Amino acid sequence: MLSDLGRELRFAWREPVVRWTTLIAFGFTVFALTAGLLEVRNQEREIAGLAAATVEDQKLVLDGQPDPGSAAYYTFHLTYDPPSALAFAALGSRDELSWKHRLRMLAVEGQIYETDTDNSELSLIGQLDFAYLVSILLPLLVIGLLFDLEARERRESRYELVCATSAHGRGIFLVRALARCLILAAAIALPFLGFALYGGVSIGDSLLVLALASGHILFWLLVCRLVTVRNLEGATAALILLSLWFLLSVVVPVVGKTGVERMVAVPDGGHILLTQREKVNDAWDLPKSATMDPFLKTYPELTDYAEIKRQFEWKWYYAFQEMGDQTAAPLSTDLYEGMRARDGAMGWVALLSPPLMTHRVLTQMAQTDVDRHLRYVQCARDFHARLRHFFYPMLFGPKPFSKENMSELPQFEPCIDRES
Amino acid sequence: MNINIPIAIARDEWRYWARSKLALFSCLIAGLLIVASLVSTVARIESERVTREGFQEQARETFESQPARHPHRMVHYGHYVFRVPAPLSLIDPGVDAHTGTVMFLEGHRQNSAVFSPRYASAQAGPYAELSPAFAYQVLLPLLLIVLGFAAIPREREARTDYLLYAAAVTPTQVWLGKSLALAGAACAGLAPLVIGLVIALSAGESLLIAAYMLAGYALYLFAWVFLVTAVSAWCTRASTALALLLACWTLLCVITPPVAATAAQTLAPMGGKIATDLAVVRALRDTGDGHNANDPAFAKLRAQLLEQYGVDDVADLPVNFRGMVAQWSEAKQTEIMNVFADEKMASEAAQSEVVRWLSLLSPALAFENFSKITAGTDLSQHHAFLRDAERVRFDFVQKLNNIHAEKLPFADDMQRGSSPEAERRTRMSAANWRMLEEVTTQPQTALVRISASLPQLLIALLWCVVTACIGFLRMNRRLQDAV
Repeated sequence: MLSDLGRELRFAWREPVVRWTTLIAFGFTVFALTAGLLEVRNQEREIAGLAAATVEDQKLVLDGQPDPGSAAYYTFHLTYDPPSALAFAALGSRDELSWKHRLRMLAVEGQIYETDTDNSELSLIGQLDFAYLVSILLPLLVIGLLFDLEARERRESRYELVCATSAHGRGIFLVRALARCLILAAAIALPFLGFALYGGVSIGDSLLVLALASGHILFWLLVCRLVTVRNLEGATAALILLSLWFLLSVVVPVVGKTGVERMVAVPDGGHILLTQREKVNDAWDLPKSATMDPFLKTYPELTDYAEIKRQFEWKWYYAFQEMGDQTAAPLSTDLYEGMRARDGAMGWVALLSPPLMTHRVLTQMAQTDVDRHLRYVQCARDFHARLRHFFYPMLFGPKPFSKENMSELPQFEPCIDRES
Repeated sequence: MNINIPIAIARDEWRYWARSKLALFSCLIAGLLIVASLVSTVARIESERVTREGFQEQARETFESQPARHPHRMVHYGHYVFRVPAPLSLIDPGVDAHTGTVMFLEGHRQNSAVFSPRYASAQAGPYAELSPAFAYQVLLPLLLIVLGFAAIPREREARTDYLLYAAAVTPTQVWLGKSLALAGAACAGLAPLVIGLVIALSAGESLLIAAYMLAGYALYLFAWVFLVTAVSAWCTRASTALALLLACWTLLCVITPPVAATAAQTLAPMGGKIATDLAVVRALRDTGDGHNANDPAFAKLRAQLLEQYGVDDVADLPVNFRGMVAQWSEAKQTEIMNVFADEKMASEAAQSEVVRWLSLLSPALAFENFSKITAGTDLSQHHAFLRDAERVRFDFVQKLNNIHAEKLPFADDMQRGSSPEAERRTRMSAANWRMLEEVTTQPQTALVRISASLPQLLIALLWCVVTACIGFLRMNRRLQDAV
C-alpha cells in the first residue's frame, strides 16, 4: 500500500494540473500568512504606540487638576485586547468587533459601543487569511484535483486496464486521490508550520490547525469520491461538486444565519443608546436624592460622605453616571447574551457546513471570534469599575486627593495573556 | 455578414439547453437563488430602513421636547443621527452592514458611527451575505460557464462543426451565435435585477442610475459570456474547457477580491480612530477648555471683545462671555478635528484606491466596485454621511452656543452654582430646541456616482473586448489549423 502511494505520488507530481494547483496553494498560503503576520504586527505596534501616547497624555492632563472630579473627567485610559499568537492565521472579526477603547470615568454604556474599525470596504470584501484559504479555497482546489480522476481514464478507455493492473482494483483511485491530496496538504502545511514556529505558536496548536485543515481536505476527498464513483462524466461530476461547495459554503451559512437571527433577538443598538442617554440626563432635573439614595444602596460605606450641598458636585455627577449605567445594564446584558446565544446557535449550524465549521474552529483557536470580543468587553468594563472604585473614596472624601494617592491610578492590563 | 446564421445557431443552442437536464436544473437553481437573494435583501433593507427612520424620528422628538434648561446642557445632552440605507441597497447593500448605523452628536467631540448591523449579527464565516449583487458577481458567471463551456468543443467532438463549415457558415458566425446564445441567458438572468431596480425607482432612485446600473451588470455578464466562448473556442475538449473555466472563475471571483483587500491593507496601512483621537487631543491642548472662560488661551478673545464693545470688564459686555468662549472654542476645535477626520478618510480612500486599481486583475472585483459605487453604498457614501453628521453636529452646537451668548445674562450664568434663582433664569425655554438640521440620507447625485464608477465599468468593458478578440481570433485560427 505504501509503495503504491509512493508511486502514485510520483505519478501525480508529473501532472501539470497537480503542479499548478500545488503552486497556487503554496503561493497563496505564503501570501495569506505573510499578510496575516504583518497585520498582527501592525496591531501590536498600534497598541504599543497608543499605550505610550495614553500614558504621556495622562501625565500632561493630571498635572494641575484641582480636584479628583476633574482629574477623573479629563483622564482617558486605553483598554485593548492584544492579538493571540495564532491570530495571524485567522484575523477573524477583529476588523469589525472593536478590540480597543479609550475610556474615562463617565457612564461606560455611552463609551463601550464606540467602534474603532478598519476600512469598511475591505471588511466587505474580506481578507485572504489562512482561515479563508483553508475553509473556502481549499475545497475548490481539492475538487479541481479530483473531479476528473476516473472520468479521464474512462474517456481514454484505460479505466479497466488501470483497475486490472493494480493490486487494489478500483481502490487504486482512492490511493490516487490520497496522493494528490497529500501533495496539496503539504503545500499548505509546510508554510504554515514555518510561520507558526516563527510566530511563537505552540506545537500543539500548530498540529491542531493542521489536523483541522487535513480533516477538511479529507471531507472533500470523501465527497469527491462519493460523486465520482458514480460513473459520471467529468463535467457533470465537477458541476455537482461545485454546487455542493456553493451549498455548503454560501447557502447553508446564509440560511442558518438568517434563521438564527430570527430565532434569537437582540436589542437594537439605537434603543440601547437612547435609553442610556435619557437615564443619565434625567438625573440633572431630578432631586439629588433620586440619584444618591439608590447609589448609596450600592455603596453603603460612602453614606457619611454623601451629602450634596451645592447645585453641582462631582460626586453626585459620577453617582448619576453609574446609576445611568445600572438602568441601562439589562439592555446591554440582553445584547451580550443575545450575541453569545447567536454564536452558540451558529455552532450548531456549522455542523451542517464543514467550511463554516473549519472557519469557526480556526477563529476560535486564534481567539479572534465573538466570544473573545465579549470577554474583552467584560475586561474593559471591569477596568472601568476599578477606576470608579479608585476615585470614589477621593471624590466623597475619606481619602485625600494627593499626588501620592493619584500615583496609584489604575493602569489597564489585558485580561487574556498572549500565550493562552 | 448574414446575421440570420448566428441567430439560428443561438436558437439551436437554446434548443439544446432545453433538452439538457443539467442546463435546465442549473438555470432553475441559479434563478431561485437570485430571486431568493432579492426577496431577502429587500425585506432586510426595508426593515432596517423602517427601524432607523423610526429611531431618527424618536431622537428628534426627544431632543425637541426637552424641558427648559441651560443651553450648554443641551450641548452635552446631544443628538443622535441614524444612517438610512440608500434605495439601491436592496440590490447591493455594500458597506451598509459593515458601517455604524447611529452616531452620537455632542459638543467638543466627534464620535464614531456605532452599531453596524454586523456587530450583533450571527457570524457566518466569509460568505455571510447573499445579496443580489453577490449572486450576480459570483453565481451567474458559474451558470454561464455551465451553459457555455461545451458550446464549441461539443461541435468539434461530435464533428458537427465540419458540417457547418461545409454549409458555408464561417467560424466567426459560429462564435457569434454561441456568444449570442449565452448573452441571451445572461439577459434572462437580469430579469430579477430589473424588478429590484423598479422597486428602487419607486423609492426615489433616479432613472438614469437604474439604467446605468442595468447596463453595467449586463456588461459584466457579457465579459463572462466572451470569456466562456473564448476558452470554449480555445479548447479541443469540453472537459479541458470546463477545467480551465472553473480555474478562471476561482481565480477571478474567489481569490482576487480578498487578495486585493489584503494587499490594500498591507500596502496602505491605516491608524485607527483612537490614534486620531489622541492626535486631536495633542493638537487641541493649546486651544483651551471651552468650559473654563478663564483659560489663558482665551485672553486674546477677551481683549478683542472688550475692545470691540469698549468696556473694561467681561461682565459689562452686551453678550455672555462664557457663551462667546464656548462658540469660539467649538469653532476652533472643530476646525482641528475636521483636519484629522479628513486625514483619516483620505487614508481609507487611499486603501480603497488600491483595490480599485487591482480590479484590473479581475472583472469580478471591478464589478463589485462598480456595483456599490453606483448603488451609493460604497465607502465615499459613508464618508458623506460622516461629513453630513458633522455638519448637523456643528450646526446645533453652535446654535446652542449662540443662545448661550446672546440670550443668557452673564451675571446669572456666573451665579447659577450658588443661587437657585439665577440658575432658574439660565434655563432657556424649550421652544429654543426646535433647531435640528436633518441628515440628508440621499446618496450622491447620479452624475457623481457615474463618474466615480465609470473606470470600473471601463475595466469590465476592457475584459469584454479582450476576451471577445481572443475568442474571435482563436476561432478563426482553429479553422486554419484544421484546414
